[in-house]
Amino acid sequence: MSKHRRKANMKITGNQSASPAPALRQPVAPTSPDTPEPAAQTTHHLVHHYEVPDKPVVVIESSKAWVPVNLANLWSYRELLYFLVWRDIKVRYKQTMLGALWAILQPLVTMMIFTYFFGKLARIPTEGVPYPIFFYTGLLLWTYFSGAVVMGANSLLGNTNLITKVYFPRLIIPGAAVGAGLIDFAIASVLLIGLLLYYRFPVTWGYLMLLPLIVLTTLLALALAIWLAALNVRFRDVRYALPFLIQAWMFLSPIIYPSTLMPAQWRWVMILNPLTGIIEGFRAALLGKEFHWLALGYSTFVTALLLVYASYSFRRMEKHFAEII
Amino acid sequence: MKPIIKVQNLSKKFRITPGEQPGLQYDTLREAIAKAVKAPLRRWRGNHGEEGKDTLWALKDVSFEVLPGEVLGIIGPNGAGKSTLLSILSRIIEPTSGRAEIYGRVASLLEVGTGFHPDLSGRENVYLNGAVLGMKRREIEARFDEIVAFAEIERFIDTPVKRYSSGMYLRLAFVVAAHLDPEVLIVDEVLAVGDAGFQKKCLGKMDDVTRSGRTVLFVTHSVGMISQMCEHAILMKAGRVHMKGPAIEVVDYYNTMWNTLAEKRQA
Ligand SMILES: Nc1ncnc2c1ncn2[C@@H]1O[C@H](COP(=O)(O)OP(=O)(O)OP(=O)(O)O)[C@@H](O)[C@H]1O
Ligand SMILES: [Mg+2]
Repeated sequence: MSKHRRKANMKITGNQSASPAPALRQPVAPTSPDTPEPAAQTTHHLVHHYEVPDKPVVVIESSKAWVPVNLANLWSYRELLYFLVWRDIKVRYKQTMLGALWAILQPLVTMMIFTYFFGKLARIPTEGVPYPIFFYTGLLLWTYFSGAVVMGANSLLGNTNLITKVYFPRLIIPGAAVGAGLIDFAIASVLLIGLLLYYRFPVTWGYLMLLPLIVLTTLLALALAIWLAALNVRFRDVRYALPFLIQAWMFLSPIIYPSTLMPAQWRWVMILNPLTGIIEGFRAALLGKEFHWLALGYSTFVTALLLVYASYSFRRMEKHFAEII
Repeated sequence: MKPIIKVQNLSKKFRITPGEQPGLQYDTLREAIAKAVKAPLRRWRGNHGEEGKDTLWALKDVSFEVLPGEVLGIIGPNGAGKSTLLSILSRIIEPTSGRAEIYGRVASLLEVGTGFHPDLSGRENVYLNGAVLGMKRREIEARFDEIVAFAEIERFIDTPVKRYSSGMYLRLAFVVAAHLDPEVLIVDEVLAVGDAGFQKKCLGKMDDVTRSGRTVLFVTHSVGMISQMCEHAILMKAGRVHMKGPAIEVVDYYNTMWNTLAEKRQA
């Protein structure tokens, strides 16, 4: 055929202005009226000249093993977090008849089953608290916590297309999964208010502890979610082990029974579970009981530790997500 | 003039057989043990792993510069490393070595409709996709009507996108991305969507983008599009920059390369 340009490795740098064939540069469609008519200039980029800053906006290099969490960067992506939470909620209840009622139904039905079997039949001592409210307080928090951990742990795998095609701090994804759980928690709380009114529990100063306790639950769920999500990208084992572990964890937490059911010399074992302090604290706050400050302090400590470990571990694995997912 | 994108000796190594990616840290006890046991074994077998058939340099010492307002086309055969290059510049994957600097805000369009959810309506997806691509909610609101009008899907805006024809879906997805307003736009093989009429419209839109002084880096297999839209082009082959220069010359060379190949195959 035509001449074979074998050795055509001519290094022509970008700024040598070889004018392109003008005939080929005709606009394909009529330009919209608001764009300036560029007919006169062939090098139109000189018209809207972009002032190149001295410092690069983005530097791309292979990073060190340990990268701290960039909070400012996370904050600048808060709108994406909002949209992902919104998407998760929308999608979850699309094409359902009951919609958000499902958020209430699950803990409600479980509570009724527990009330019958563990309450009426097994007569588990609940320190004088009526069965429905005892179980519902525990289940409400547990449903939120376990749901957030499970959804969070699977969140990266469920968003593969985002991870391989767009840049954003990956922490947003498990964060959004936990956020969506928080919305369900808020919906299911409505029933709790109904129960509290029905059983005539008075409003006490303990209510002031509700917000810190919910924040603590959220942070603990977040810590586990981000750590498991990252691990799940590399080892799909997480996906299979998690449902079983979560179920075991439920029976080890004071949801069906109060931790006082344990013989006194073994109670500390229960308190090693960071959820014990949180769930019993939640009950104490709502039902006007004594707080177990030591257990709460311990839960806070463990949560902080896990959160720090999880976020660093996530950051370390994050840069490989798009390649190995 | 100072360049807006500087790429220096960018290289990327992939592991192409199942196993760990090179550079992945070992962070569980089990792996640490496994690695400690395997390393001497491998030495004993004389298998040094790493280099060779297990790994692939998807990019090797890629360097180039792009000036502000320039439209740079990238062509090359399948597997040449074009998408890898764009992924690195979009900060989706990290390079193994080398460095790149970008002196402006970047928006990447590596796939049409990233983040679209089939169950959500067109309207909901416009917001979601906009947010995914880095638009603020106010920006999306301000351009919403324009986006819908451009995609010509007004009637279906509240239908779940899973009920769209694939062309309609792509139109909507493309239009959201076309309304991005970054200084640097990175595009991978996504312009050839929709029917002929819509393609014309897309090219017109791209023309607006380049006229407004934005820098565009785009990969395509359509040499026609390269010679139509770019001043300069890069030809990539086997992870390296094989040639860079004025778009028509690169396209010419690329065509000749294929023709030579075809002749060889016939002979
Ligand atoms: N995550 C990954 N893990 C391992 N290998 C990869 C990965 N991503 C890409 N590769 C390899 O890198 C090489 C370059 O791929 P890339 O997608 O960049 O090619 P391309 O030039 O975009 O090709 P095409 O024209 O087909 O789109 C290919 O051989 C591919 O197999
Ligand atoms: Mg590609």
